[in-house]
Amino acid sequence: MTPGVQLLAVGAAAPSWRLAATEVGAAWGRPGGRGQAAVCAPDEDTLTLAAEAARRALLASGLQTDIVDGLWWGTSRPPFAEGPSHAVLASAVGLSHRSGGALFAGSSHAGIEALFGAADAVGAGTVRVALVVVSDAIVPGLGTSWEPRAGAGAAALVLVSHGGAASLGARVTRTHPYLDRYRGDDETATRDLYDPRLFREEIFLPAMRELGEQLGTNDIDRWSLPDPDGRLGAALARQLDAGTPASASVYAALGDTGAAAALLGGVCALDAAGTVGIVGWGGGRATGVTITAREPVPGAAAVADVLKGGRPATYAAVLQARRQLVASGETVPMGVPPQSAQFVRGADEMLGLLGARCVDCGTINTPPSIHPHCISCGSAKFVLEPLARHGRVYTFVVNQTMPAPFVAPLPLAVIDLDDGARVMLQVTEHEGTLEIGSEVELVVRRYAHERGAPVYGYKARPYAIREDQ
Amino acid sequence: MSWNRVAVVGAGLIKFGELFDQSYEQMAAGAFAAAVDSVDHGFEPSQVEAAFVATQRGTLWGQEGIGGNTVPSAIGLAGIPCTRIENACPSGSDAFRVGAMAVASGVHDVVLVIGVEKMRDKSAEEGLLARAAAGHPIFTRGETAPVLFAPFATRHMHEFGTTREMLASVAVKNHYNGARDPYAHFQSEITVEDVLASPSVCSPLHLLDCCPQTDGAAATLLVRADIAERFTDHPVYVAGFGVATDHPYLHEKSSFVGLKATQLAAERAYAMADVSPADIDCAEVHDCFTITEILDIEDLGFVDKGKGGVASLDGETSLTGRIPINTSGGLLAKGHPIGATGVAQLTECWWQLRGEAGDRQVELRHGNALQHNVGGRGSGVSVINILTTNQP
Repeated sequence: MTPGVQLLAVGAAAPSWRLAATEVGAAWGRPGGRGQAAVCAPDEDTLTLAAEAARRALLASGLQTDIVDGLWWGTSRPPFAEGPSHAVLASAVGLSHRSGGALFAGSSHAGIEALFGAADAVGAGTVRVALVVVSDAIVPGLGTSWEPRAGAGAAALVLVSHGGAASLGARVTRTHPYLDRYRGDDETATRDLYDPRLFREEIFLPAMRELGEQLGTNDIDRWSLPDPDGRLGAALARQLDAGTPASASVYAALGDTGAAAALLGGVCALDAAGTVGIVGWGGGRATGVTITAREPVPGAAAVADVLKGGRPATYAAVLQARRQLVASGETVPMGVPPQSAQFVRGADEMLGLLGARCVDCGTINTPPSIHPHCISCGSAKFVLEPLARHGRVYTFVVNQTMPAPFVAPLPLAVIDLDDGARVMLQVTEHEGTLEIGSEVELVVRRYAHERGAPVYGYKARPYAIREDQ
Repeated sequence: MSWNRVAVVGAGLIKFGELFDQSYEQMAAGAFAAAVDSVDHGFEPSQVEAAFVATQRGTLWGQEGIGGNTVPSAIGLAGIPCTRIENACPSGSDAFRVGAMAVASGVHDVVLVIGVEKMRDKSAEEGLLARAAAGHPIFTRGETAPVLFAPFATRHMHEFGTTREMLASVAVKNHYNGARDPYAHFQSEITVEDVLASPSVCSPLHLLDCCPQTDGAAATLLVRADIAERFTDHPVYVAGFGVATDHPYLHEKSSFVGLKATQLAAERAYAMADVSPADIDCAEVHDCFTITEILDIEDLGFVDKGKGGVASLDGETSLTGRIPINTSGGLLAKGHPIGATGVAQLTECWWQLRGEAGDRQVELRHGNALQHNVGGRGSGVSVINILTTNQP
């Protein structure tokens, strides 16, 4: 038991592309294939999904981001193998420079580990508000049977010591040093199971059955169960007499979301009162936890809408986005290296999207570091503030002619934000419907991959796409 | 304002184009020789007291820093004072202005203003298009040159009903003129249909809405007006100039249907020259894109704001129109070797005012011609020079 750990709100996010299993099958000369998986567009990755899920959970919680004490993030492949993954996400979510937390990685079990890391900190009283984010964007081996199911997604949970709509309950865990899915230190793609029969009969089902039966003594109403191959989830549910697990809808819409899978399946089941049994698996470990909702958890009902979105992508486009299909030839380097001074000076204003409001005339100057004087009145007195995240297109272009690594068509729009600031940003997830006056919202996206480092910033996204949010 | 009057006694350029066979230095030498040859009573190169060189972007041929010393050496005048002027797309016109001021101030009697630009030593991808990755890593990422002007086209179309046909008519007219200019990069006429059917570069601009990437060089010789008769019986005088700046980023613009830098520079140039738009016989304006010429002719006061598209479609800016614009073919047909562009425009104005423009010759009524550039990040710099045959 974890005394006093409450769940205040949840959020979820999915990438913008869906890859049909038939697309993958056709490429490898295999018949059919069922279902689809959610896949990142070139400007999305595990961090942008994490940021979006976190933003939704925090909005649903009604909390200001600066009172969050820490970020606990679980993902099997952080954007930096070594580097500031956690710090970049914390900044992109708007957490304070004093916030703490931890990054859990290394397997698809990392999501559950992040939840427990945060829960233990809240339970121990060392933090009052903890943000848990689980996310993944799997890069599978080409031609493997897992490839059509390798998905992407994110979930976020805001934990507090009291006052939430749900509470964390029992935990059970098992560990065995078996190789299931893994990626060597020098490898980019995750390897598929070596022997699916061995895995099913000797590794997965026995451990899960034991763990599920123990967790099942807690009167579980709905389940989130792992489904590594599109069949094992149903087999496990039958053995546990669990009916159709709530997680089945997540797997059907997004595929295997790796470290995000267990909690994504869990949060979508928190839209009604009752106890949810959540099982996470990966890296030779399996862990279960119960969450009991006294009432619908804020943000949970919107998860179903996240599952509905997405537009079809071709296999070739997906391979390019995953950098498994790379054009030969040179690419144009970013004029400013991501390790350089401009990124140090601009870290807050780029990832926090700050503006400088002129004290004398009210004009918002962006970004602050290049505006020692107001563009309207020349004053040098400013207050820094986060920019509004919603606005309308004032004018725009669609750039069709750029050297690699740019990909056309690339819309760029001058946007008037709700707070009166005017910004110019790239537009993402456009469907060729951009117009003067179009409503847009600003979201964190990956602008470039430069010298091995992902470079993040805000882009505008047509608002109508997620009007349900 | 008290200043010594300045006369242009020589001007010339080399044939613009993709000059793969010529070095930067060879282009400079060619332009200087053309200017020297143009002086009616002859000109000794050693008479040049100082030179002002416009080159905007040495990085396009692998040169990070180009001072003022490359050109004097290349034209056989190593040792003379020489300063490189870089002021974005108006570099050439600003070098001319600075050269004129050097004479006007009384410091020099004879100066050379030369613009040289090597644009095609690198591929398009590693050349001009590479600016997509330059500048601010987020807020200008993807901003190639057309991105600086296409948002104005989007907005001009929205606010005034300007059409793609109207934009295209600018390109058609300038290619018509370019086909009559032996120095132009492009030498053939095009139709509105050609422009409309050309591939999209940066919507709403298509390929033929855009100027090409062109190598080139041009030179002018400026002297104190009171010694001009030693060189020519037909001097052309500097009547005035204007320069203005605006904020450097697009999101800092309050209007997307006009360029404030051009408007301010025009005010200053007209005041200095004591002329109005109605007194201009012809103008070479910055038409890096078709929309730019439409903005220019409005901002320069030749047509009312919002009417630039209709005026272009109606032929008001053709060789025989009310106000002939870009008789040389403009940047769209003659080409835009950045540092050379302004100097080449001034050469066209010089020819027109001397009645030497051949098939492109316009009717001279007032003896005034205007030259204009605008550019830089956010089109935040504009330079305008006005030339005249009227005795100061």
